[in-house]
Formats: sequence, structure tokens, C-alpha cells
Amino acid sequence: MNLSDFLVVSSLLFMIGAYGAFTRKNAIAVILSIELMLNAANLNFLSFWRFLHPSSMEPQIFVLVGITLAAAEAAVGLAVILNIYRDFGTINVDEISLLKG
Amino acid sequence: MNSIDSHLPFLIMSALTLGSALVVVRVRNIVHAGFWLLPCFLGVAGLYALLQAHFFVVVQVLIYVGAILVLMLFALMLTQDVMNPNKPQTNRMSLPIGVFCIVFAAGVAAILTGHQWVNSNAVILPANVQTRQLGQALIGEYALPFEIASVLLLAALVGAIVLAKSEKEPAPLPLPTLAALPDSKPE
Repeated sequence: MNLSDFLVVSSLLFMIGAYGAFTRKNAIAVILSIELMLNAANLNFLSFWRFLHPSSMEPQIFVLVGITLAAAEAAVGLAVILNIYRDFGTINVDEISLLKG
Repeated sequence: MNSIDSHLPFLIMSALTLGSALVVVRVRNIVHAGFWLLPCFLGVAGLYALLQAHFFVVVQVLIYVGAILVLMLFALMLTQDVMNPNKPQTNRMSLPIGVFCIVFAAGVAAILTGHQWVNSNAVILPANVQTRQLGQALIGEYALPFEIASVLLLAALVGAIVLAKSEKEPAPLPLPTLAALPDSKPE
């Protein structure tokens, strides 16, 4: 198994996540899809680290910061969605269109 | 060349990851989608193990499966009554975006497999050495990104608590009057 195999898996995972983020109606499902995309990015970083630069530290630091960002994004996003649920009674992103002109 | 010789574990982990990711984005019941994220994250952890990123296998299982997924399931179960699982859960752009994603993924895969990557010949350090190096880097050379990430996480968590707290304070419970207190006269 070579670098390109891992990169193909990670790009497929990213596109599956992008598909979910674009097409899902439920706002929490959109966040689940964004988590898939972040996982794909981390997998990419670690594949490049393993095959191209095993002696450098930067990819691992990037992945650590990326996981932190994913946790922060999930916490804030879910808090926002709970607030929307409380105010609108729905979390369907097609129905929440207050900013639509 | 510094390639990985184990084909079967790679295929199993990739199939687990991609298959459950597809179920996550397609299944109608949103709670099922949340639970299908579990094999997906575990598959990614398996791929990390194949890449010999030992520390990140543990981090993936601890943070993603242990923390983020539980948070997601909490939010899913607090709001699950609003989406009827018998109706379609995707908007009308589902088909064109699906075609676009497939075409884009195929193009990216073609480019990535066509490129001639020059693998490094450096030896992958064993788990204990690798993790010790990472820890030393986090308190030494890369202390600033580490601290920024920590402050960011703290700020995000405080912000999440402030956002999720209801705006109206709950009314304080009325203090019991003296007459309502049980008679505690000693015998």
C-alpha cells in the first residue's frame, strides 16, 4: 500500500462528507458530514507524514490542532443548533431562511 | 521504498470507513446516522494504526469516539422529534451534487494515483520514541500552536455553554416560610 492509496481513500471520504454537507436537510447531519471531512483532512496529513516526512514533527502538530478544531466546531455548532431548535422549533436548514432577501 | 505491505487490513479498514460514511450521509433516521459514525471513526483509527501514527490511534478513539460522537448523539437525541425519518432527508440537489462529487473524487483519484510520489526512506520510530518526541515538541518548539489550540478550545467551550444556556433565567424557588417548616421541637 502506497501513499496514493491512502490519499484516494481520504479524498473519497472527503467527497462523501461534502456530499452529506451539501444535501442533508438536518443541521446536525450537516455537522456529522463536516466531521467526516475533517477526518479526511487528518488522514491526509498523517499519510503525507508517514510516507514523505517521517522525521518531521509538523504534520502531527497539524493533526493535533485539527482534532482540537473539530472538537471546538462540534461544540459551538451544536450549541447554535440547539438555540435554533429552541427559537424556530425546527433544525431543517431549508426552513431556516431569515436572512433570505 | 517505504511502503506498507499489509493489503488486507488496509482494504478492510478503507471499506469500513467509506461504507459507514456512505451510510451516515444517506440513511434517513438521523440517530442511526449518528451511530454509524462510530465504525467510520474506528476505521479511520485503523488507518492511522496502519500508518504507524500510534499516538493518533488513541487520540482518535478517545476524542472522536469518546467525546465528539457522544456530544453529537446528545444533540441528536435532544432534537430528533423534529425530522420525520419517513420523509426524504436530502434536498432536491441530491442527484446533481452526487454526480459532481463522484466526478470530482474520480478526477482527484486519477491525479493522485498518476503522480509519482518519492517516498522517504527514513525509518518510522517505534511508538514510545515517537510519542516522547511529540510530547517534547509540544512543550518545546511547538508550544505556541499548542497553547493557541488550548485557548481556542477553552473559548469555544465557554461560548458553547453561553449559547446553549437558555436566555431566561429559571425563576428561583420560593424560600420556605418558617410556618411551613416541619416542627423540629425536641421531645
